[in-house]
Amino acid sequence: MDLIEIAFSAVRVSTPLVFAAMGGLLSYQAGMLNIALDGFMIIAAFAAIATAHFTGSLELAILVAVLGATMLSALLGVFTLKLNADVFIAGIAIIFMAYGLTALLLKGILGEDGVFMSSAIPRFPTLDLPVIESIPVVGGIVSGHTLLVYIAWLLVPLVAWCLYRTRWGLRVRMVGEAPEAAAAAGVNVDSIKFQTMLLSGVLCGFGGAYLSLAYVSLFANQMTAERGLIAIAAIFFAKGHPGWTALVALLFGLATALSVRLPQVTGAAPQLLQLIPYVVTVAALIIVGFRTARSRSKHGAWKFGWN
Amino acid sequence: MSEPAPVIEMRNVVKRFGDFTAIHDANIDLRPGEIHALVGENGAGKSTLMNVLYGLLPRSGGEVLLRGEPVDYGSPNEAIAAGIGMVPQHFKLANSFTVAENIILGSEPTRGFNRLDRRRAAEETAEISRRFGLEVQPGDVVGDLAVGLRQQVEILKTLYRKAEVLIFDEPTAVLTPQETRELFNTMRNLAAAGNTIVFITHKLGEVLAVSDRISVMKQGRIVATLDNRDVTAQQIAALMVGRSVILRVDKAPPSELGAPLLRIRDLCARGERGEVAVDNLSLDVRAGEIVGLAGVQGNGQDELVECIAGLRRRASGDIEICGKPTGRTPGDNRDLGLAYVPADRAHVGLSLESGLWENLSIGHLESFRWGPFMRTGAARKRAGELIERFDVRGGEIDKFAGSLSGGNQQKVQIARELTRPAPLIIAEQPSQGVDIGAIESIHRILVEMRDAGRAVFVISADLDEIFSISDRILVIYRGRIVADLAAEDTDQEEVGRYMGGLEDRPRDGASPERTAHVG
Amino acid sequence: MSAEVSVPPARRSITASPIFGKIAASLVALFISFLLGALLVLALGESPLEVYGLLISGSLVGMPNFLVTLQMMSPLIFTGLAVAISFRAGLANIGAEGQMLVGALCAGYVGYAVELPALIHLPLCLLAAFVGGLVWALLPALLRVYLNVNEIVVCLMMNPIALLLTGYLSTRVLKAPGPTNKLPDIQPTAELSTFSLFSQANTGLIFALVLCLIFAVVNVRTMRGFEWQMIGKNAKFAYYGGVDVRRRALTVFLVSGGIAGLAGAEQVLGQYRAYYDDFSPGYGFDGIAVAMLAQFNPLAVPLAALLFGALNGGSAVLQMMTGLSKHLVQVLQFIVVLVLAAKLSWDWLKLGRSQTAAPGSDPPAEGPHVTAGDR
Repeated sequence: MDLIEIAFSAVRVSTPLVFAAMGGLLSYQAGMLNIALDGFMIIAAFAAIATAHFTGSLELAILVAVLGATMLSALLGVFTLKLNADVFIAGIAIIFMAYGLTALLLKGILGEDGVFMSSAIPRFPTLDLPVIESIPVVGGIVSGHTLLVYIAWLLVPLVAWCLYRTRWGLRVRMVGEAPEAAAAAGVNVDSIKFQTMLLSGVLCGFGGAYLSLAYVSLFANQMTAERGLIAIAAIFFAKGHPGWTALVALLFGLATALSVRLPQVTGAAPQLLQLIPYVVTVAALIIVGFRTARSRSKHGAWKFGWN
Repeated sequence: MSEPAPVIEMRNVVKRFGDFTAIHDANIDLRPGEIHALVGENGAGKSTLMNVLYGLLPRSGGEVLLRGEPVDYGSPNEAIAAGIGMVPQHFKLANSFTVAENIILGSEPTRGFNRLDRRRAAEETAEISRRFGLEVQPGDVVGDLAVGLRQQVEILKTLYRKAEVLIFDEPTAVLTPQETRELFNTMRNLAAAGNTIVFITHKLGEVLAVSDRISVMKQGRIVATLDNRDVTAQQIAALMVGRSVILRVDKAPPSELGAPLLRIRDLCARGERGEVAVDNLSLDVRAGEIVGLAGVQGNGQDELVECIAGLRRRASGDIEICGKPTGRTPGDNRDLGLAYVPADRAHVGLSLESGLWENLSIGHLESFRWGPFMRTGAARKRAGELIERFDVRGGEIDKFAGSLSGGNQQKVQIARELTRPAPLIIAEQPSQGVDIGAIESIHRILVEMRDAGRAVFVISADLDEIFSISDRILVIYRGRIVADLAAEDTDQEEVGRYMGGLEDRPRDGASPERTAHVG
Repeated sequence: MSAEVSVPPARRSITASPIFGKIAASLVALFISFLLGALLVLALGESPLEVYGLLISGSLVGMPNFLVTLQMMSPLIFTGLAVAISFRAGLANIGAEGQMLVGALCAGYVGYAVELPALIHLPLCLLAAFVGGLVWALLPALLRVYLNVNEIVVCLMMNPIALLLTGYLSTRVLKAPGPTNKLPDIQPTAELSTFSLFSQANTGLIFALVLCLIFAVVNVRTMRGFEWQMIGKNAKFAYYGGVDVRRRALTVFLVSGGIAGLAGAEQVLGQYRAYYDDFSPGYGFDGIAVAMLAQFNPLAVPLAALLFGALNGGSAVLQMMTGLSKHLVQVLQFIVVLVLAAKLSWDWLKLGRSQTAAPGSDPPAEGPHVTAGDR
C-alpha cells in the first residue's frame, strides 16, 4: 500500500520535471542548451496563482501562465538569436531576473512577502480514469491525478512524434546537428531555434502552473527549487531522447517522493532528506560526464576535453 | 550546330567589397547542355562571381539574365527556386542522418499533419540517383559514406530541387583520380540531359578533360572565353597568370642531411568518428630537408599532424621529436623543439578575439617570464617587430587577429611559429587562403629554415605547392605512407597515381624500414 | 566560401580605446536597466522618482547610511571578484553563493573552536574560509575541466546543497545553545575590527580592495593571468600554444571558489561575529551582476560592488517605505547582466575595436559572442 502511494506521488512530483524537460529537450535538439527553464517556470507559477486569485478561473490561470513563460522565452530567444548574447549568461540573467521579478510582484500586486495563499483559488480537480482505475496496482498509481499530469505524460509521445515523424522535427534535429547544412537547404535556422525556444516557454508555462495550482496551492519565492536544472540533467542523461528523458525525470521524481516520505519513517533531519534530489542530480551529471569522456577517449581528439 | 540561346547571361557584373573591387565588368553566358569551366588562380574571383549568381553575395553593378529575363536573387533560396544549384567545396551535410533525409531537407515530401513521407523521399531519391548513374542508397547514413559518395549526395540535393544549372566549386579537390573520373562521367550525363554545368577549378588538366567551353579569370576580370577544341593548357596558363603556373622556389639542392628530427614508427590513430585514420605509419624527417606530404584530403593527414603536435592521443606507435619521445601535451612537444603552423587558423592557430601581441606571444611565454610575472612590455615590443618583419598588413599590436584578412592571419601564425628556436617545423597548408605574393615569401622562408639546418615537414592538399618546395615527397593514402619519392625524380602524374591508391609498391631505399614484428 | 578574394586591410578603427568602449557598454546597460526598472515601478503604482530617490538617500546620504553601503558592498567585492576571474578564463563559476556559505561556516567554526593569539587566529580563519570555498568549487571544477560537464548546471545544484548542509550543521550538529540557529560566537581574536560602533562595516572591506588590486596585477602582469585570459578567449588555441589548460583552468576555478569563501569570512568574522543559518540574502548571485558590470576587470569590481551594495542598502529603506520589495534591485541587476550578455551596446554603437574582416575573405571571427561556458 505504501509503495503504491509513493509511486503515485512520484508521478505527481515528476510532472513539472516532465513539462520542463520536454520543453528544454526541444531547444536542446535544435542545438541550444536552454538553462533558463527554471525562470520560465517561476514566472508561470506566479502568473497562475495571481490570475487564479483574482479571477477564480483555473483555465484562465493556466493561459496567463503559459503566456507569461512564453514571453520570457521570447525575450531569451531575441537576446541569444538576434543580439548574439551568450546563451548561458543570458539564461542565468533570465533565471535570476524571473526570481526577482516574481518576488517583487508578489509584494507589489499581492502584498505578501515570501509566500502567498488564498482561499479564492479553486482546487484543481482530480480525474479518476474510468477503466484503469479498477486495475489493481496500476490504477492506484495512474488514476486520480489532475488533468495537467495526464497532459504532461501525453506530451512525451507527442514530442517524440513531432521530432521523429514530422517535417518540422527533421528540421529541428538537422538544425541541431548541422546548422550549415540546414541553412544551405533553405531552412531558416534561427527561426527553427526560436520556435523551439518559444515551445520551451509554453511547456514550462504548463509546468509552472502545475507547480503552483495543482502540486501545491500557493506561491512561494523560488518555489521551483531548481526543477528546471534537474530537467536539464535528465535531458543530458537521456541524450535528448523524449522517452528516456521522461523516464529519468520519473526516477528523479521517485527520489524526491522518497525524500518527502522518509522523515516520517526515519526521523532524520529534514535538510538531509531535502538534499536527495540535488545529490541524485549531481550524481547523474557525474555519470553523464564519465560516459561522454569514455566515448571521447576512444579517438582522443582534444584530450583536455574542452568543447 | 547552331549556338543555343544561353540559359544565363551575366552582363557587366561588378562586385565591390568596400573600396576593393573583386569583380570588374564580368560577362559570361552559360548555354544549356554545356560544361563550362571557370578557371583562374586563387583569388581571381571565380567563387565570388558564382556566389553573386547564386544569390550569396549581392552584386554591386551589372545584370543577370535568366532565359533572357533579368533576375536579382537576394538569397540562395531564390536562386534554388529558379533552378540554380551549387555543389559546395566543403560539403554541407548532417553526418548522422540518412542520405534521403539530407537530400529532402528543406523541401520535404509530406503526408497529412506535416508528417514526413519517408517512402516517397526514398523512392524519389533512388529514382534521381538511378537516372544520372549515381550509386548512393537513400537509406545509407551520410557519415559512413566515402567522400566521393558524399559529393554525390550534394549533387542529388541540387537535382532533387530541380536544378538545371549546377555550379561545382572546386569539386575535385577532395577526390581521388577514380572518383574524379566518375564525377566527370556524372557531369557529362547531367549535361547530356540538358543541364548546364559550371565547373570552377584551377587544374588545367581537368579543364581540358571535361569542359566544352572555358572562361579564364584573372584579377577579377574574365579575360577570355574559349572553345575547348581550340586551346592548349599552356595557352590557358598564360591567360591565367601571364607566366608559368608552377611556382618553383629557387633553392639550392639540400646540403648534408642531419639526424632525423621527426621519427615516427608504427603510428596508429583514430579519427573523429572512431575510425582508423592513421594506420601503422612510419616516417622520418631529417635536419636540412623539406619533406612534403601529399595526399587527398581525409586520408589521415590531419590526424597524423595532430598526433605529432600533441593535440590527439595516439592509439599506438612511437613519435620522437629531436630524438626524444613526445610528451603528453602540445606544450611538452613544443619544449622538445616543435614549431607547428596549423591549418585551422580560426580555432587552433589564432585567438581571433585577442590582440595580435597576445597571438604572437603564446608559445614564447617563457622568454618573457620574470619569476611569476610576465614582461608584457617586452612581449608587445617583440610583437611590433614581428609585424614589421613579416609584413603583416594592417597590423597593430592591439588589433584583434580576427580583423585581419586570411593571408595576414597566416603571416601572424608563421611569424610566431618560425621565430621559435625549434629545429622541427611542421607547416600544414601553409599557403591556404594566401595571395600569390605571400605564398612565395612563405615558401622562401621555409627554404631558409631548411638551409639553416632545420627539418621542415609540409602537409598540403595542393600538389603545386608540394612540388614547389619539397626535397622529398611522401604520399599518404588511407593512413599509410604509400610512396617516398625524391622530388627531382618524380612528377605530378606519378604522385597523383599514388594519391589515388593506384600503385602500392614498396618504398624507395631512403624510406624508413618497417620494423619486422608488425603484422 | 573559400578565400577567393584578397581583401585590403580592414579600415583602421578610429574609435577610442577599448576601455572607453567597455565603460560605455556598462553605462548603457545600467541606463537600460534603470529605464526598464522605472517602467516596472510605474506599473506597480509607485513613482519611479520617489523610489530611486529612496534608494539613493537610503544608501548614500548621511554617515549611517553610507556605512551601511560600505557594509553591503564588502561581500559583493569578494563574490564579484570571484565570479570575474572565473568568467575571464571562460569558466562560469556561478556557485559563489554556495562557496560563500561553506567558507563562512568554516570561518565560523575555526573562529569559535580554536583558541590562538589574534595574529594567527584571524589568518587561520580566513584560510579556513578560503579552503572551504575552494573545496566547494572542487566538484564543479573537476567535472568541468576533466569531464566537460556544464559547470553552470553543477554550480546551481551545489548552491542549494550548500544551503541545506550548512543548515543541517548549524541547526543540529554545531548549534549554539539557545533559540537562534547559529554557531557559538567567535573568539575576539578572530574578529575583523569594525570602523564604527554604528555599523558592521569592517576591515574586511580593506582586505577586499587589496585583493582586487592584487588580481588586477595578476591579470595583466603575470604569466598565470595571461594564460587565464587566453583560455577564456580560445581554449584550444591556448592548449595548442603550450598552456596546460586543464591545470590552469582548475586553478582559476578553485581560486575563484576560495575568494567566494572569503566573502563568507568577512560576513562571519566582521559583521555577525558568528555563523548564522541562512544568513545570505544572495550575495553570491549579486556577484554575477557585479562581475558582469565590471566586465571582469578587478579594478572595476569595487565600483560595481559599490553601486549594487548601495542599491541593496537602499532597498531596505524601500521595503519599509513603499509597497515594493527589495527584489527590485535583483531585477535591476540581472537586466544589466542580460544587456551586457548581448554585447549589443558596443556592437550597435560601434564603440569597440573592429571585430571582423570584410566579407569575401576567410570566414572571419567565429562571431564575438562566446564569453563563458561554451557548449
